[in-house]
Parts: sequence; C-alpha cells; structure tokens
Amino acid sequence: MKVHYKINGEEKEFDIQPGELLLDVLRRNNYTEIKGNCYLGTCGACAVLINEVAKATCTTLAAQVNNAEIITIKGIGTISEPHLLQKAFVEKGAVQCGFCTPGTIISAYALLKNNPDPTEEDIKRSIDGNLCRCTGYVQQIEAIKFAIKLLKGGK
Amino acid sequence: MNGFEYIGKNIGKIDAMALATGQPLFTDDISFPNILHIKILYSPHAHAIIEDIDTSEAEKIPRVKLILTYKNTPQVLHTTAGQGWPEPSPYDTCMFNKKVRYVGDRVAAVAAETEEIAYEALKHIKVNYKKLPAVFDPEEAMKEGAPVIHDEEGISGVYNPKRNIVSHIEVKAGDIEKGFEESDVVVEDTFEMQYAQHCPIEPHATITYLDEYGRLVIRTSTQVPFHVRRIVAQVLEIPVQNIRVIKPRIGGGFGVKQEIILEEISAFVTLKTSRPARLVYTREEEFVSSRTRHPMKVTVKIGAKKNGIFNAIKMYALSNNGAYGTHGLTVTSNTGSKTLPLYNKAPNIEFIADVAYTNLPVAGAYRGYGATQGYAALEQVVDEIAEKLGMGPAEIRKINHIKTGETSPIFKALGEGREGVTQYIQSEATDKLLELGTKEIGWYEKIRKPAKEATKVRGIGMALLMQGSGIPLIDMGAATIKLNEDGSFNVLYGGTDIGTGLDTVVAQIVSETLGVKPEQIIVYAADTDVTPFDKGAYASSGTFISGGAVYNAALKVREQILEVTKEIFGEFNTKDFILKDGFVISEKSGKKVSLSEIAYQTLYLKKQQQIMATSSFVSDSSPPPFAAHFIEIEVDKETGIITPIKYVAAVDCGVAINPELAKGQIIGSIVNGIGYALTEEYKFSQTGKLINSNFMEYRIPSSRDIPDIKTILVETYEPKGPYGAKSVAEININGPIPAIGNALYNALGIRIHKLPYTPEKVLEALKNKGA
Amino acid sequence: MLKLKEVGQCFYPNTIEEAAKLLKESGEDTRIVGGGLHLTAFPNPAIKTLIFLNNLKLNYIKEIDGKISIGATTTISELANSAEMNGYLKGNVKKLLQSIASELLRNQITMGGSVAQREPYSDIVTMLLTLRADIVIHDGEKEIKTPISDFYKSNFRATLKKSVIKEVLLEKFDSTYKFGMKRFTRNATDIPLLNFGILAQVNEDTIKNVSIVVGARPGPAERFAQAEEFLKNKTLSKELAEEFGKFVEENVDVAGDIRVGKEYRAHIAGIFAKRILNEFMEE
Repeated sequence: MKVHYKINGEEKEFDIQPGELLLDVLRRNNYTEIKGNCYLGTCGACAVLINEVAKATCTTLAAQVNNAEIITIKGIGTISEPHLLQKAFVEKGAVQCGFCTPGTIISAYALLKNNPDPTEEDIKRSIDGNLCRCTGYVQQIEAIKFAIKLLKGGK
Repeated sequence: MNGFEYIGKNIGKIDAMALATGQPLFTDDISFPNILHIKILYSPHAHAIIEDIDTSEAEKIPRVKLILTYKNTPQVLHTTAGQGWPEPSPYDTCMFNKKVRYVGDRVAAVAAETEEIAYEALKHIKVNYKKLPAVFDPEEAMKEGAPVIHDEEGISGVYNPKRNIVSHIEVKAGDIEKGFEESDVVVEDTFEMQYAQHCPIEPHATITYLDEYGRLVIRTSTQVPFHVRRIVAQVLEIPVQNIRVIKPRIGGGFGVKQEIILEEISAFVTLKTSRPARLVYTREEEFVSSRTRHPMKVTVKIGAKKNGIFNAIKMYALSNNGAYGTHGLTVTSNTGSKTLPLYNKAPNIEFIADVAYTNLPVAGAYRGYGATQGYAALEQVVDEIAEKLGMGPAEIRKINHIKTGETSPIFKALGEGREGVTQYIQSEATDKLLELGTKEIGWYEKIRKPAKEATKVRGIGMALLMQGSGIPLIDMGAATIKLNEDGSFNVLYGGTDIGTGLDTVVAQIVSETLGVKPEQIIVYAADTDVTPFDKGAYASSGTFISGGAVYNAALKVREQILEVTKEIFGEFNTKDFILKDGFVISEKSGKKVSLSEIAYQTLYLKKQQQIMATSSFVSDSSPPPFAAHFIEIEVDKETGIITPIKYVAAVDCGVAINPELAKGQIIGSIVNGIGYALTEEYKFSQTGKLINSNFMEYRIPSSRDIPDIKTILVETYEPKGPYGAKSVAEININGPIPAIGNALYNALGIRIHKLPYTPEKVLEALKNKGA
Repeated sequence: MLKLKEVGQCFYPNTIEEAAKLLKESGEDTRIVGGGLHLTAFPNPAIKTLIFLNNLKLNYIKEIDGKISIGATTTISELANSAEMNGYLKGNVKKLLQSIASELLRNQITMGGSVAQREPYSDIVTMLLTLRADIVIHDGEKEIKTPISDFYKSNFRATLKKSVIKEVLLEKFDSTYKFGMKRFTRNATDIPLLNFGILAQVNEDTIKNVSIVVGARPGPAERFAQAEEFLKNKTLSKELAEEFGKFVEENVDVAGDIRVGKEYRAHIAGIFAKRILNEFMEE
C-alpha cells in the first residue's frame, strides 16, 4: 500500500507492506539519521516527532501514521544550520558516540516546545526514554539547560 | 592559564556536530547495491554435537544466495579476541564449529537478498544435535568428571582443557603465610560478581564488499581494525594485503567490539558471492551471542599490623569465561595486576586465579577488564579491616596507597599473557584526591551519623582505584602527519575513536605542538590501507599510546618546519623559533613566516619535499590514573531499595587534554557502574538459555536513575604521556560496586556478597543480621 | 524487520460505529489499533487486518455530566498534562502517570489499549480499577457502559472482538476522597513488578467506599476484596496502617517469577499498603 507523510517539510510517498514499522520504512528510504534496533520502544534511538509528539518509530506502524507530519533530527537542524539544542549538545560534551543523540535531541526539542521553563525533573523525564551508555546523562541535561538559557536570552 | 593554547581546553568534539545533526556516519548508514543480508542460526542447546546439518531445503528458497555451516567454511582454529599478536587467548573456535557450546552458539548463516528471506531460510535448516550434559557453574566445571567443553583436536593456549580450565594464574611475592602470621589483624571475604553486558546503543554491525579492483573491504563497528584484518586473513586463509578494514563512527564499544565475531562471516559471503554483504546484530543477539563481562568470584584476605599498614594481601579469583576462552587469561590477570599494586606497602602478596569454561554466553573485554571485579572485593575488604583496626576508611587508604617514586612487585610479575614490566609511579596525587573528595561529599560530617531508627537511612562509602594506560612494551600506535598548502595538516593515525573523543584529543595535541587551530587539523583514522598501525581502542591506551604516537610525529614535523625556516630567516638556531597561530616566529629577530608560505615553498618552489613525518610509540610503562570515589546512598529499610544520592569522583588522569571529554568518560563509567552494582544481571533458564535478553528485562540506568554526580579533576604531570596525560577511560567504572557496598555497611551494618545489590538481597541481609 | 507479514488490509473508519462494524465483519485475525505498542512490540504473525482509530478523534479529556470522560486513544502523556488532572485527587493521579514507563512510551500508550490488553504489569489498569472507572464500549449500534471490575469479570476479550472501547469515565471525587498508588520497579522506567492502589473516602478519619487493587502480582490486577473488608469503617491511624500492612502482607495473592520472588511481592505490598494509609493521614 502507499503511505504519505510530510517529512521535514517535504511531501513524501512510499510503498510499504501494510504491517511494516515506520523505522524500517524510513531507514530504507534513506532517513538513516533514525537509529536503533531494540524493536521494543525501549532504547529511544529511533525517536522522531510525529505530529509534534516524540515517538519511537520501532513501535509505530507506518500505516498508522499515514498523512502525519514527521520531523527527524535533520528537520530540527542541519550541519550547516544547526539548532540551538544541537549547538548546546556539542558545546557541553553531551555527544560522545552520538548514536543516541538524534533521538535524545528529538525528545529535548519536544520538551522545550511544550514547556519552555522545565524543572530538572521535567528535563530528566523528557529524555528518560533515550538510553545512553556513554555520557551518563549529566552533560545532556546540562546541554538542555544551556539551550533553555540561550533560548530565553533571545539567542 | 596553564601556559597552553589547546591543551586543557574544552574544545567541542570535532565529529560532534555531524553526529548531532544525524549525518550518515555509522556502519549501517551506508548501503550498497545488490547487498546480501546475513542472518545466523543459533543453537537451542547448551552443549551438543552437530551430527549433521541439512541446508538443502533452505537453499531452494528463491533469493537465498549462500548458506554457511562448518561443512563449507574454513576450519581454522583461532581466537575471536582482538588482541596483539600472538594473542594471549586460546585458539579454541572456528568460524563454525561441529559442536555447540552454549545456547546462542552459532550453527549456520544464511545470506539472502532480504532480511525476511534470510530469516525464513533459517527455519528450513535441519540440524541433528546429539545433546551432551552441560555445566553452568565454573567450580563444577573444573571438577573431575565434568563434561569436557573443549575436546577438539588442535586447540592451543588452554591451560587444561580436560578440566575446563582456560587459564591458571599464580603470582607470589614474599611469604604469604608468614605475612598473615605476622599480622595483628586478618580479614577475609568473598564477593561474587555477575554477568553483565555492555549494551552499546549501536549493536555489532559489519558490511563487506569488493572494491573496484576486487579487493575485500570490511566496514565494521569495531574497536580493533588492524586485528580484524589480521584475524580475518588468518581465518579465511587469505593474505593480509587482500583486505582493507575501515572503521566508521562507532556507536559505543566498551570492550564488546574488541572482538572479531561478524567480520569473518560477512567477508566470506562477499568473497564467495562477489556481492556486498551486511550482518547487523539485533539487540537480542547482542545480549546472547556477542560478549559479556566475566562473572567472577573473588576472595580477598588482608593481614595488617596494629598501625594499619598492610602486611599481607591474598586474592583468589575464579572467573567464568563461558563457552570460549577469549580474553580469559588477560582479564583475570588484570583482576590482580590493576588492584594489588595500589596497596604496595604489603611485602607479602599472593594472587591465584582460575578461569573456567562453562556452557554459557561468552565473556570478553568489558571496560575495567577484570579490575572491576577485583576492586569490588578488595575495596570492601579494606573497609572491613579498617573497621577491625578502629581506623576510618580514608585513613587506612591514606597510609597504604602507592606513592610517587614507588613500585610494586606485581607490575613485573603480572603481565598480560607475557611477563609484566617493572615501573615506578611518576605521577600521583592520591592524598589530594582523598582530601578533595572527602570534602566534597561531606565525609567527616556524615560519617558521624545520628541514630538509625528512621525508615530511610543514609550511608556513605568510598573506594580507591588505579588502572593503567596501555599495556607496556606491547601496545603500539603510529601516526603520520603532513602539511598542506594552506597551513592545514592531515593526521593519519591508526587510533580508534569509538565515541570517546580520541580524534579530538589528537587534534588538540597536534594543534599545541604545531601552533595551529584544531579546525586546521584533518583527522583521518583507523583505515588499514591508509593509516599506520594502531592496536586499537582498549586497555585505556587512546590518549597515552595513540596520542603519544601523534605527539611524536608532530614533533618530527615541527623539526622539519623549523629546518626549512632556518634558510628563510637566515637564522640557524631553531631554539629561537616558536610556532604560533599558523606562523613560525623568531623570538630573536621577530621575523615571521606562515606555515602556508612554507608549504607552498616546499611543495612547489625550492628543495621540494612533502613536509611529513611518521612516528610510532610504545611505552615501557603503563602509568596508572588514580581515582577516589565517594557515594552517599539512602536505603529504605522496609523495601530494601538503595537510592544513590550523591557521587563524587576525584580523578587524577595526569593532564586532562580535554577536561570536558574526560568528565564525560568519568560520568559515563560511573553510571554504567551503578547499573552493574544495582540492577544489571543475566537470568538463565534451567537449560542455560538467557531469558532477559532485551532492555525491558535487562535494566540499564536511564536519566531518571542517576544521583547528583560531581567530578573533580586533580592534575598531575605524567612525564611519559603526551603533554603529561594518562588515561581515564576505564578506571571509574570500578568505583560504584565497592563504594555502594561500603555505604550499605555504613548505613545498615550489612554487607551483601552477591551482586547486584537488589532490594530482595538487602532485606535478606537485614533479616540475617537480626535487624 | 517485518514481523506482521500477513497484514493485508488497513481500515481508517470515520465513526466508531463503522469501526465496530468493520471489526465484526473482518473476522478472527483483526485488531483494533490504539497506540499500537503491544501490536508492534509483541507481534502476532497471524494478524491479517488492522483497524486504525486515528480519524475517530478519541483523544479527548472532558467533563460530561459530572464525570471525567477520557477518550480511548488518549495517551498517558496527554492525560498527565491535561488541566483536568492538575487538581484531581490532589494531583496524585498526575504524579503517578508521569512516572510510568518512559516518555516515548507515555506518548504512545493509550487508555483504550491498556484496558483492552490488560497486561499484568499495566499501571493504567490498576489505576482504573482503583478509581472504579467505567468502560464505555460501542458495539456498532449502541454504547454500553460497564464498571471496569465487572468488565474484567466478564469475557471481555470476546466482547472486544465485536466492540470498540470508546472512552473511560472517572468520577469527579470530592475532597473527602483520597487516592494513592505505589509501584515497585527495578529502576525508574521499568514496568512495575508489583503495584498497589487505594481509593477511599475518609470522613473524620473513618474509611468508607474503599477500593484496593493489587497488580503485577505477577498476575493481572484485581480488586483485593479481603483488604477492602478489613478497612471498611475503620478509623485511620498509625496503628491501623501498621496492622493493615501486616494484613496485606499475609493475605495478598501474589506469586514469584523470574523478576522477583513471592515473599518480596507480598512484603512490599504490605509496605505500600501501610504507606498509602500514612499518606492519607498527612494529606
């Protein structure tokens, strides 16, 4: 069957098997910025924004989100024009191997959209679905706080 | 501040923005046309002979291109351990064996045009197993009459295959029995550490293909590209020159990718089909069929004089290697070699260890590499003897720890497969670590605590640690640096950045030495065709060894630049020249010339040469980093739940070339260690099958599980390291278990001897204490 | 990796009547898709037909006739962040919701899906049972409202082969009502290995209208009638809390499994029981 999405602002149409997962459909259509393979929704490396909500693509059926608006990390910022959050992650040592980074930034981005003044608890909760084995989370949390400061200070 | 422009600065990791913006940097992010997907068939039995395999039905399935079993693959015994040659691990496995030795051992592999077809084909492979009795306990495995796990012809490097003993280690100094007799106080205790997995968020992934010239290229998520090349050559019986190994960005290793387990299969498929091939582990395969931490039972006995000085230390380690012996000797050697020298005051030392085969998942390299298990026991027994002596935990460590200028007989006695190397400590500030750490956690206030009638009780505990920096006289790295027209430099080195930031540290070293910004350094690493050799990312050798090679190469390039400058300035004492901001400047005359001018001149105009140098680096010592860890926990007496509240790590890693990256290593290790202490474990069925092989049931820490973590870097200067640096990558994972164990004792007077410290065990211990 | 290979048809009905009719007509291997977590994480390869509820706009939280009506596809996050939950039972429901699982899963798990799956380790099921929620289903012709404990006592899986969950109704309990629910997990984002909920009306320290639920036993959540009987009409006090804790530990119906032992489950159920009562006193 065919599905239609708006991905990072672009209209896209894909051919899928009805039972396929969004993660597999997107990766084989070159959205390799989406990572992960736990297929249980537990590691978070596969997260994207679907209609502005952060979700795991490994537990999302491609057919279920037909016509949805999807934003991947590349829709948040690119290497030539990074978002403040990406700059903050780089500056605060929050990127080690980087494999969990796109998913974590997706979750942080969703947090800041819904709650521009989160508490430390709110921040931890927002990324609690993004497992990281490298950083131990401290610098990621510092990066998010730094991004909030920058956003509040009007860049 | 410190007189350096780039050393000691928090320069953002040079690959960080690309990673943060989702660039296709990892192995599986690039595909190739006509690629074949490989899936593996695993054994459902813990111990069985494969009497026959029939792949004929599976082969008939359309778009299945190749099926591999022991019948059609080279039967070359080798080790999967990514170690320097000759590897100190047994050659006890072929690509596919005729026997399976654990549930999850590989039986066959299918290469097909889609993953689904490959999976389907697996179901049609018929295997005739002859089941054998299995053994799951290392002590049982070493007894007479236990099922022999490795009875095949031709294996080597196994201490006693008939008794399932991979290695037996015995190292002595002084007279241990006399040492205990002379002691005023003696304490002995045993701790059992469990299976755990590294859980890199990127699983193992390998892609192989033939390049335009028909040469095999292996693009793989590895810590050891050069060992991959050599071992694949060995296993497939092809020359090293026919293979190129490329390491892209790696999504975490922690030791699990210091192993050659997928590359040979993928390479073989590519060679046989002439097509690209892809083999990527699922999360379940990562848990079951890659590598794990070595479960170990460690007994430590310490004898001390009344004044608190240790007189005798004895350690016995029983290590469970699982079904194959990879890293068996070396991990268990480190259990003693990285722990015992810390307390070098004791003249009488004994370290004995046995490493056993069992029919369980295979253990391998894991951050800490045996020291984690050693400290889990040692640092708790140190607390126990302190209590018996009436001394505080910080005090007893203060008077016993190794100091600058000192040595330990263990350095020479316990190497990694070969004899070790004597060394003297040249950088150390342990007393400062203790001072700053105790202050930050509020040690002396909290240790005198109010009565413990409350339901939730707090406790504090500490651990003192050392590790190493590379393996002395064995680990070698090399680097080449060349100058370009615009004054930029290419750095080609074999070092293996697996997310640690080594490429950035290396750029900073070159920047400092050659007076250019890190943005002008182009780092290209770990490509066996293009970069010089490096042993790979393990043994905490990145900054020290790989960085050391880069530093030496930079020094040589500096010399070449200064030599050329002589003629340009008409001045002949290069000691007057400095390199700064892309220029060479004479401090004597003020003359300056840019590196770009020098490049144009030397590449095109006069006495043409490529300014370029290669250097290798081996060290005759392994300068240990030191760390003092402190934790405050809260224990709920009614539920048994332990909550880490605050963690302080005071760390001496020499000069931290990039403090923010060092901090990342420290914190990441600590959080991993906390998981190992409190929640991570393998659960097996009665038949040896791993049951909790996913993140739902194998619990690693999330952002909501971390305490308040404070890191304190205490700078020392290590003369043998580039710009005074030592390592920091492994040491800190060794702190959480003993610190938490000691804090638990401080809180409730109980000590748990089997890890992890679950609530059930806490309540059990309280009950036994008669609380 | 494609596990749901047999799925051939996907429907996107526009009304709940349509959804229920499609369900009845499509046969055995049809699934209504709520959040889709269970379907994808534990795929049943036999499934042939999927019915997506996206167009039904069942993600609402509103007050109707003095009840709080929560649409079936409302996620845990949506409920947790709703204005209605801010003051509801002193914010204790909101706090609970925010602690369940992890953010990505909270953004996906739905009320309807949780009720339909009735996973033994579902915190939502335990919570709804404790709050004595009503389940409203649509059978293609009409709506049917059932109290959740009756729903689970009936052959609800058979019912859900022909009906679609429309919404969950919560009573707007006044300030005399107290709610507490505790969960034992191995670490923060874990499934519960035991959860325990109490809802009670406390009038001048006398306990009435109490519901007590134990879940992840490891069996599915159930009302703990014995414990409800124990607390009925008793006076809230520290001594009662102690006694009640011991009673629960001795009488709760739990077993051991690979995750945690029977003794510990019983013990922590008792501790939770005691602590919830103590918290009721502090409120």
